Amino acid sequence: MATLSIGADDLVDNPTPRVPVSLCLDTSGSMGGSPIEELVRGVNLFYDAIDEDDDAHDSAEINIVEFNSSAGLVHDFASIERLQRISSLTANGATAMGAGVNLALDTLDRRKATYSGSGVLYYQPWLVLMTDGAPTDNIDLAVQRVVDLVEAKKLTVFPIGIGSRADMNTLARFSPNRPPLRLDGLKFKEFFEWLSKSVARVSRSTPGDTVKLDLEGLAGWAEL
Amino acid sequence: MSLDVQLLDPVEFLQPNRRLLIDTNIFMDPDSRRAGGLKRLFERGQGVILTNSNPIVVPTKVIGELTKQSRRDPSREAEERTKVAIQKAGTALTFLEDASKVGLVRKDLGDDSNPYADDLFLRIFERFASTYEMCLLTRDITIKLRIRLLAHRLDKRLLTGVLTKDGDLEIESDQSLFDRGLRKYTLHASNVAEGNGNFKDRSEVASLEPLLEQFRQAFDLQDSEVNAGDRSPKTSAPRNSRRTPKAQPFSSTATIKPRDAVLNFSSLPKERDRVSWESATKSGTLLLGALLGEGGEGSVYQGDRNTVVKIFDKEHVTRHRKEKVELLVRSGIQAKGLCIPSALVRNAAGDFVGYVMPKATGREARTIFNIRKLEKDFPTWNKSDLVDICISFLEQVHLLHSMNIILGDINPKNLMIDARKNVFIIDADSWQLEGYPCPVGTPMYTSPAMLGKTYADDLRTMEDELFAVATMLFQIVMTGQFPYMRTGTDGDMVQLIKEGNFAFQYENRNNKDQPDGDWKFIWSHIHKPVKDLFWHTFHREGKRYKKRPTAAEWLDAFKAYKAYLANKRLNFDPMSNDVRPIRNKAFRPDTPIEDCATCGRRHAIAGIWNDDDTQYFVPRQCNKCRDAQPFRPSAGRPTIARGATPATAACKDCGKRFPRAQLTYSRCPACTTKANSLDTNRLCVDCRQPFITYDHIGWFQSRFLDVPKSHSAIKQTCSTAPRPTSTKPSTPPQVGFWTRFKKWLQGN
Repeated sequence: MATLSIGADDLVDNPTPRVPVSLCLDTSGSMGGSPIEELVRGVNLFYDAIDEDDDAHDSAEINIVEFNSSAGLVHDFASIERLQRISSLTANGATAMGAGVNLALDTLDRRKATYSGSGVLYYQPWLVLMTDGAPTDNIDLAVQRVVDLVEAKKLTVFPIGIGSRADMNTLARFSPNRPPLRLDGLKFKEFFEWLSKSVARVSRSTPGDTVKLDLEGLAGWAEL
Repeated sequence: MSLDVQLLDPVEFLQPNRRLLIDTNIFMDPDSRRAGGLKRLFERGQGVILTNSNPIVVPTKVIGELTKQSRRDPSREAEERTKVAIQKAGTALTFLEDASKVGLVRKDLGDDSNPYADDLFLRIFERFASTYEMCLLTRDITIKLRIRLLAHRLDKRLLTGVLTKDGDLEIESDQSLFDRGLRKYTLHASNVAEGNGNFKDRSEVASLEPLLEQFRQAFDLQDSEVNAGDRSPKTSAPRNSRRTPKAQPFSSTATIKPRDAVLNFSSLPKERDRVSWESATKSGTLLLGALLGEGGEGSVYQGDRNTVVKIFDKEHVTRHRKEKVELLVRSGIQAKGLCIPSALVRNAAGDFVGYVMPKATGREARTIFNIRKLEKDFPTWNKSDLVDICISFLEQVHLLHSMNIILGDINPKNLMIDARKNVFIIDADSWQLEGYPCPVGTPMYTSPAMLGKTYADDLRTMEDELFAVATMLFQIVMTGQFPYMRTGTDGDMVQLIKEGNFAFQYENRNNKDQPDGDWKFIWSHIHKPVKDLFWHTFHREGKRYKKRPTAAEWLDAFKAYKAYLANKRLNFDPMSNDVRPIRNKAFRPDTPIEDCATCGRRHAIAGIWNDDDTQYFVPRQCNKCRDAQPFRPSAGRPTIARGATPATAACKDCGKRFPRAQLTYSRCPACTTKANSLDTNRLCVDCRQPFITYDHIGWFQSRFLDVPKSHSAIKQTCSTAPRPTSTKPSTPPQVGFWTRFKKWLQGN
């Protein structure tokens, strides 16, 4: 685990409570072309916005899980200072959404265990699930895990459908509290801007506070 | 406000061609924030005084006034303030007698023909202006104005000011002097106007009116645009008075008011809109200036130079807020740093929409809760500066508590700190007073008893408040750490507070749950009495867990902390004054303390006492340098061949040159380590654990092959062993490490 100890210093010496955000992204074949390019641009813009925000800079920790025929970790959790911008994502294969969500939840669990083991305060994590299609694997376990966590107030989830073919019924299963959102066209930029502002808003609160998300701000990029 | 004063070293006025004089009121100063300033001045200046035979001048007139004051009979005085004053006068006389015997003070100069000492000083300054540069220590605004005007007219260096508690001379700007003069004038003038004026009121009005006009013309000053509530007589005590004598405490027994309700109003004013204001005694209108910020309850606009106007947003224009603002405006409480409403603000239709208050400057307290921001914004600060912040915060809180005001929502967003270590407390409209609850709160600062209650529906007790005060102090002095932080929690703030498990090492309790990082070192250096109070307050087994220390108790403890840091004999470890120490406090005064030879950090290494051979062992590197090494020395420290320059080669991964003997498969030791470690970003698709080394990944990538995705793809089987829950690197026990390190040093 030598690679993890590199970040240990800023992890423990910065007392700012952390907001772990897992981006769980569909990179199946259908995302090829402009959707995946816009997605990469949107993610990098998200990183820049977090980097520039005085509060989110010290709080946000982000990872990316991709799923196509299988699930993989694009990069593990790191503070924004240590994050490289992603150059590209490759779109191919099927849509193993169940595997993707499970992996994202596992990485969030591990990150929380790291916080807990080092004595670092954190906010309950966020999971952003983005897909343009329907799952090709079994999602029952993943759905159950998400629902349990959301109901225990240990997870905030943002299921986002991309384009008209996104299976909103499936996404709805991942979102017990509010309906999933369908992205208006390829408005990734607007979505990630909203997401960075929301992370910043949480960063300014104290863990335990109820933070009202600016759901009105969603209007610009999504249809409810 | 920080720009309104300038600090000078008064010792410069002890040079032969200069004179330093002291007025009576300096000896009678009731302001505890300045306490000790005279003592500092004499300590610093005594050598210069004696060398130059230039004692500080305390005229006979001042001695006479002090004598008269000290002869009053304290038992016949009802007011506590008067009793204190009598005592202060006596103390001053004794001190001056002693100081004059050793030649530090001259108290035989003077001319008793004039009944007022103020006039005497003016005459002295007029007469000797061309002979000496002179400085008078005084709190009296009238004499300050006169001497500033005289200096301007004669173009001579004649100064007036007061001493800070560090014995520095604080000199106000022209505008600030003028503003204060105006406030003094308004105070006396309104007494006269209301028919309550006495002789003093009338004579002050008579002398200040022409004086202020001359002053305004001489320095080309403007009356500030708004003659707003902050100028009003009741809220305009001179700045260095804690509060006006008229301020009366709120009720300490009020019961909770009926629930709050939103008030009707026609519209909310915006930038450049005209609003009307109403202070305790005056009213008028003003234009809202630039929008300075938006908060959870409303927006803040620039008022005049030193004031801002808060306009509530629509959900927060409520009956409670209006009535609280009215009470505070009328209260007359004023102290530097307390952003108390000075006037109620109405829109054009006459509806309550907000209030005027003094402007806070500086940064939100969160700045000092984050080492990166602290080092950027206040790079020169050390621990004693953080202790000063605590003292300044406590003085404000103490004053409010004495008025039966509970701040309620103490949190780092409601405190502002400037570079001069002034603390500003904002959000006065949320304070709890007279049965109006504080409707907001922050879980991190909420006492176990209050957790779970609704802030708006319950009155906080003083115990609830003192929990928040203690938490804030802990975070200031510990640079942001939360008192109940420990390892092995799931981050549930409410749970952590309710458990009362304060994890920092205290006396012989061996707590394994201290958070990782430098926090234990920072804690180890905190002054023991302050540590005691923290532990007993936060730990459920502590003696003060249910009866928490008051602001006054903390104030004493932090003042003692300050004195301790300045005392070289008691504070024998120089690292104790670092904002963030990186090692434990030195064991005893004789503990060897050294700079780190590797990184050069001062005092970074302290000897470690070894009971077995009853001597100190001094490590070669500081903790930081030791931790920065990829491997501990015992695991094989890279050795560099002595003698002839070794043949070197470039590491194939990082490209840096290394002695060939250190390279393994053309990699340097660090890159070898990395190459052989598992890439934690790539997880096996079957078991979701890291499975492939960087070296192996590189092999595939160099051949433009897809990197495998599972254990099975690289002919391994998934491990079924449970994964450790913590990913922190395991650290060998410290004793074991040093023993091994020593052996290594000795070549065993």
